[in-house]
Amino acid sequence: MALPLSNVVTGWFAKIGRSYRVTLDHAGGLGKLTWDSAVAIVSLKVRFRDVLNQMYIMGIQSLPIVFVTASLAGIVTSQQGGYQLISSSPGYVLGTLVVQSVVLELGPLLTAIVLVGRIGARITAELGTMVVSEQIDAFKSLGRDPVAILAAPRIVAGILTMPLLVGFADLVGIYAGMQMASLDVGLAPERFFYGARLFWHNWDLFYGFSKSIVFGFVIPLISVHMGLRTRGGAEGVGLQTTQAVMFMILTILILDAMFPPLLLQ
Amino acid sequence: MIHYRGVYKAFDIPVLTGVDLQVEAGEMFALFGPSGTGKSVLLKTTLSLIVPDRGDVEVDGMSVYFGPVSNIEKIRRKIGYVFQHAALFDSLNVFENVAMGLPEDELARTPRKEVARRVWDALEIVNLEPREILSKLPSELSGGMKKRVGIARAIVGRPQILLWDEPTTGLDPINTAAVERLIKRLSGDLEVTSLLVTHDVEGGLQICDRVAMLHSGTLRFCGTPEEFRNSPDNVVRAFVDRAAAAAALDMAVT
Repeated sequence: MALPLSNVVTGWFAKIGRSYRVTLDHAGGLGKLTWDSAVAIVSLKVRFRDVLNQMYIMGIQSLPIVFVTASLAGIVTSQQGGYQLISSSPGYVLGTLVVQSVVLELGPLLTAIVLVGRIGARITAELGTMVVSEQIDAFKSLGRDPVAILAAPRIVAGILTMPLLVGFADLVGIYAGMQMASLDVGLAPERFFYGARLFWHNWDLFYGFSKSIVFGFVIPLISVHMGLRTRGGAEGVGLQTTQAVMFMILTILILDAMFPPLLLQ
Repeated sequence: MIHYRGVYKAFDIPVLTGVDLQVEAGEMFALFGPSGTGKSVLLKTTLSLIVPDRGDVEVDGMSVYFGPVSNIEKIRRKIGYVFQHAALFDSLNVFENVAMGLPEDELARTPRKEVARRVWDALEIVNLEPREILSKLPSELSGGMKKRVGIARAIVGRPQILLWDEPTTGLDPINTAAVERLIKRLSGDLEVTSLLVTHDVEGGLQICDRVAMLHSGTLRFCGTPEEFRNSPDNVVRAFVDRAAAAAALDMAVT
């Protein structure tokens, strides 16, 4: 039997209301975590050793996967660009295409997505497990601030590490693209770099690194926020980790789409 | 010493519906009740680990929820909390876990040798051999050892109050009896006020000065162990009988 129209409409309003409440709840939680982390950093409660440890996990341990991802991105861009451009444009345009694509978009975005999977999911699962095993409560009961110990070092490490990783990814991607252009369409490295320099703006580098800093802030922020809100047991940790990954990827893609109108006009 | 005033807390459904309870200084007090009746929630409101929707908790005359924010820090310094599953920090070894029980500023200004001595003493008090376990990670310890390390962490800061959240859960009857003796001895030796949440009714009745029972989020009984055993209240009597039957079954299985 069909539900009365009034019930359906009420149901819609209830769903909209719930969505607003959840969105505001997350926005408030992220804002508070940002503020608390900033206070912990300014009041020197964050230990340098914890930041270095997180930088090692996020940076050094991520180098292999970033290397592979950036290499493949450079190779594929070079191959597809060569296929489309080489018969209709001067060969050096391929250098422009690869360098611009890697610096403006592929380097920051792919590195961010790799970090979401490697670091973001790890942080959410780690903190989620600490919540359900009462370790976070134990920190509080012992007068320790979990934000200063667990959240702020990860956020600082993300902001410091991400630009370095993106710089590495840019270099690897460009080098792989240049080698592929040489192998695929016989474009000499000097012609490749001639094309890269021809349309180069220093602003592009600033643009790419701005993205990396924002992504480096957002990934640990969201993953810590979601981890600290875990409820239930192992199932809760799994569910929260999945949701955190979706939340981070969506946020990164939305922020990525906001950069061109803000910084490339 | 600890005064719960009309503590009300609901998650999806009400868990505590206005609990009033007073634990006196130096007293050893046990809190019983069926699972899900809000015992651990009440305990956690003492340290603001769970914030009640209504009501207040006072510790040594200091309000947790209606006083200055600094009250919470002061109150947490007075209290050692023993968690149900020990809640040891996975990434820290036993020494670092126990040392975390010292207040942060005290830990920063105390020489490492003195910290090591206090950690050593705390582990010896809970009948652990420090030399053997100081450098072990929690994952390398048995359940009983984890509980003892958790107790050592709670007492190393020399608290005035100890809150025990089901410290014998998951232990066999022999280890349960050993931990209960330890609780009794610690409360006497350290001259602390103890509030014990436990499912082990017989053990609680033997070691505590006063007991209370929560039922459906309200305080159903508060009095001496003797009064509890002889309570005319049907709900209390049924609970005592069920607990005795469960304990007998446990002993038979062991």
